[in-house]
Amino acid sequence: MNNDIESESVKAAQYAVERAIKSGCSAARSSLSISTQNSFAVRDGELDRLHGSTGSSLFIQVFINDRYGAYSTNRFDKRELESFISNAIEATKYIEKDICRGLPEKELCYRNDRPPLVQHDSRLFELSAEEMKNIAFTSADEILGSDKRLISVNCEFSGSLDFSYMTDSQGFEGASKQSLYSLSAECSVRGAGEARPEAWWYEASMFFEQLKRDGVAKMALKRATDKLSPKKMKSGRYTMVVENSVSNRLISPIISALNGASIQQNNSFLKNSLGKRLFSDKMIIFDDAINPSAMGARYFDSEGIATNPSSIIQNGRVEKYFINSYYSKKMGIPATIEGPSVPIMRPFDNIELTLKEIVYNCGNGILVTGFNGGNTNSSSGDFSFGIEGFYFENGEILHPVKEMNITGNLIELWNNLLYTGSDARDVSRWMIPSLAFEGVSFSGI
Amino acid sequence: MNNTERLLNFFGVTTEDLRKIIDKALSSGGTYADLFFEYTVANEMALRDGEVNSAGSHIDYGMGVRVLSNERTGYAYTEITSTDAMMRAALTASGIASGSIKSSTPVEIKNIPYKNRYPIEIEWLKATVSSKIPFLNYLNTRIFESDRRVNKVLARVSDSQTEVLFFNSLGEIYSDVRPMASLTATCIMEENGRVENASSSRSFRMGAEFLSMKVVEQVADEAVDRCKILFDAIQPKGGEMPVVMGAGSSGILLHEAIGHAFEADFNRQNISIFSDKLGKKICRDEISVVDDGTISFNRGSVNIDDEGVVGQKTYMVKDGVLNSYLHDRISAEYYKTSPTGNGRRESFRFMPLPRMRATYMESGKSRESDIIGSVKKGIYVDNFSNGQVQIGAGDFTFYVKSGWLIENGKLTQPIKDINIIGNGPEALANIVAVGDNLKIDDGTWTCGKEQYCPVSCGMPSVLVSSLTVGGI
Repeated sequence: MNNDIESESVKAAQYAVERAIKSGCSAARSSLSISTQNSFAVRDGELDRLHGSTGSSLFIQVFINDRYGAYSTNRFDKRELESFISNAIEATKYIEKDICRGLPEKELCYRNDRPPLVQHDSRLFELSAEEMKNIAFTSADEILGSDKRLISVNCEFSGSLDFSYMTDSQGFEGASKQSLYSLSAECSVRGAGEARPEAWWYEASMFFEQLKRDGVAKMALKRATDKLSPKKMKSGRYTMVVENSVSNRLISPIISALNGASIQQNNSFLKNSLGKRLFSDKMIIFDDAINPSAMGARYFDSEGIATNPSSIIQNGRVEKYFINSYYSKKMGIPATIEGPSVPIMRPFDNIELTLKEIVYNCGNGILVTGFNGGNTNSSSGDFSFGIEGFYFENGEILHPVKEMNITGNLIELWNNLLYTGSDARDVSRWMIPSLAFEGVSFSGI
Repeated sequence: MNNTERLLNFFGVTTEDLRKIIDKALSSGGTYADLFFEYTVANEMALRDGEVNSAGSHIDYGMGVRVLSNERTGYAYTEITSTDAMMRAALTASGIASGSIKSSTPVEIKNIPYKNRYPIEIEWLKATVSSKIPFLNYLNTRIFESDRRVNKVLARVSDSQTEVLFFNSLGEIYSDVRPMASLTATCIMEENGRVENASSSRSFRMGAEFLSMKVVEQVADEAVDRCKILFDAIQPKGGEMPVVMGAGSSGILLHEAIGHAFEADFNRQNISIFSDKLGKKICRDEISVVDDGTISFNRGSVNIDDEGVVGQKTYMVKDGVLNSYLHDRISAEYYKTSPTGNGRRESFRFMPLPRMRATYMESGKSRESDIIGSVKKGIYVDNFSNGQVQIGAGDFTFYVKSGWLIENGKLTQPIKDINIIGNGPEALANIVAVGDNLKIDDGTWTCGKEQYCPVSCGMPSVLVSSLTVGGI
């Protein structure tokens, strides 16, 4: 993005804090976000969609004698900002006092004392429309005409550059730049019958040259054709293997339950669990927060509190709650961080296992390659998810399964963890590998 | 000065400017172009731990340029409505086409007439923060006074007013003012160490007249009733069984099982399981399914959609026959039919797509008690949180927050926290009884197809002879 836009917008963010304080706020924070994105999508060998944009927003939080309000605008003109902030302050004065509202302790905030995180590749500005289109076309060419069952293939190349900046009235100032390049493919196929199963695949990288481009469409096509001719299965308890592309679905409700808001609101099945061993001793989750090569690594959270590498769950024992400054004061416990930056799941005893090895080790069971809906009860940990995947026997995939749900309780599920793979994909912020659980309740026919 | 003139002034453009931007958008040979200007002010206020202790306000401003080259779409937006910025966006979007100008904007500009389905009595801009606080406090009090087990209440009131100005290469122009108001409550109860939570909400396209003691009482009472029942509920034994879907929010079945698969972008691409079924019999004669943008004040209603097509009522299924897909301009052109007013977008940052509005099934003739009475062993469900569908395979799911076991025609044991999975065409064909009690659910339903759009749904009670129910 344009450096002039960046610097002008940063001035607007700084001005917002100054103006808020001059107008009577006891404290204020402003957070700026600017994002530039270009994408080109190709459907069935023809350019289908292009999208280009730069968007921005300024998020202003004001604290007026224990009263709190949060406001945002994408209008950065000085006079409009003045009016916006005045209105925000007036509105906040009507809110009831909450003595827990305020900026975090200054000592907890990041002090710009680490080497810059290199997460930004501005190559997007140099790429021509033709080059970006061609990446999508080349991906689609991998499979066009290769399989008569293929009905439709969509390939999309996307690049984005995000700049964020934050400042507050106690002197905190921090900025970050991240880029993301991705290539995705989605295929629909048709075999016998009416169904047209679809499947997708994607690769992503912070750096253009590191984006894996080969094999994306081929993988999407393979995953789609593998789904043809599914069979309904009998209800029962099966060993469940969950592929690395979707395994974070089983972690996210746990991370949510460790959040201060859920705990303080008595809406977490993990309240009163800090320091306790609730899960299998094979369960190890770590926040690799400042690993410079990890997508999502950051030096500070949305309050400016410094991030650090830390254990979340160690050998089944809960080691971290995510407590921001507000819930810290509400509950009278120390603030930690608002949430994980790069949650990674590590194999037990450092045993390295691929998905194929896990399936082989499990012998018989169901390999889950996708979740279809479902939810978790945040108070109890009870869950029920629709799944798609494959039945396997003696370590060999036999056939796709159709219309099945898994149901149970997350604490029980994670106590039945059999294997943690070493195959986490590096295409997203969460790095969760393939997993295996025993005795999972599947409902079918 | 009429509203369109007012918004032209507000966005700092003239009709001559709009023509020039359109001409730029079509300069590479696009077949159609439109401009979508949008200004939204959204407010929210939340109650937590008995206090209304946070407020927020959000302003969003910008315009998007869309260029079509037959079925293909170029899109760009800008948050600055200077001529230069808009011309740059137009140039970016024009890149979808490759050639020279094939069409130009007509000289005559036509206002698109429409009926206002959501006239505002009291503008949200005139509703002060202090005027909203008593409603949240009353909601909190009413929930706490309803049951001694209530432990926490989270409540939120949110409102927005969106002003839209639209112009296209056909010379058509319109403006619209779109209000939205929502009230939500989550009730958390604890008894003997067991904690349960339940939520309720109401949402309408209304001004500040939305807030009333009546709507507060509806939300409070429903949240409490939904939470209380969970203390007696179990996760049932799973498997295939008959499912009675209670009137109202069971419309999620229509949204997930068939609604998305009827959206014509999927069908023109031949990737929906319903792609070959237009005009064919797909379920019993007594079933008619509607997607309706004309219900007064409904969350899913559109006076006029986001590509200049007037809101309307569309029969997707009429007397058991697949009658119409849900069209935007692109798919309507593909199928050589008229667009159905389903071209919607989350904001100026997004290109419009075929999206549902209020999707419901018309009433049949059966009484709900007879439907339940006809089931020997199955479940009754009437409270949901979310759903999903796979368009091509047709497999859909929805998550049941609570319901009942049916044993020998009677509701016996409360159940909770189960996912239900089925196949769209099969589930539709397996609806064997339709109740006489259609009810539209006025909760905060939001559809997440690529972008977020407010929708609603409705249903009379129906019996689906077989669905796969999650359980232990």
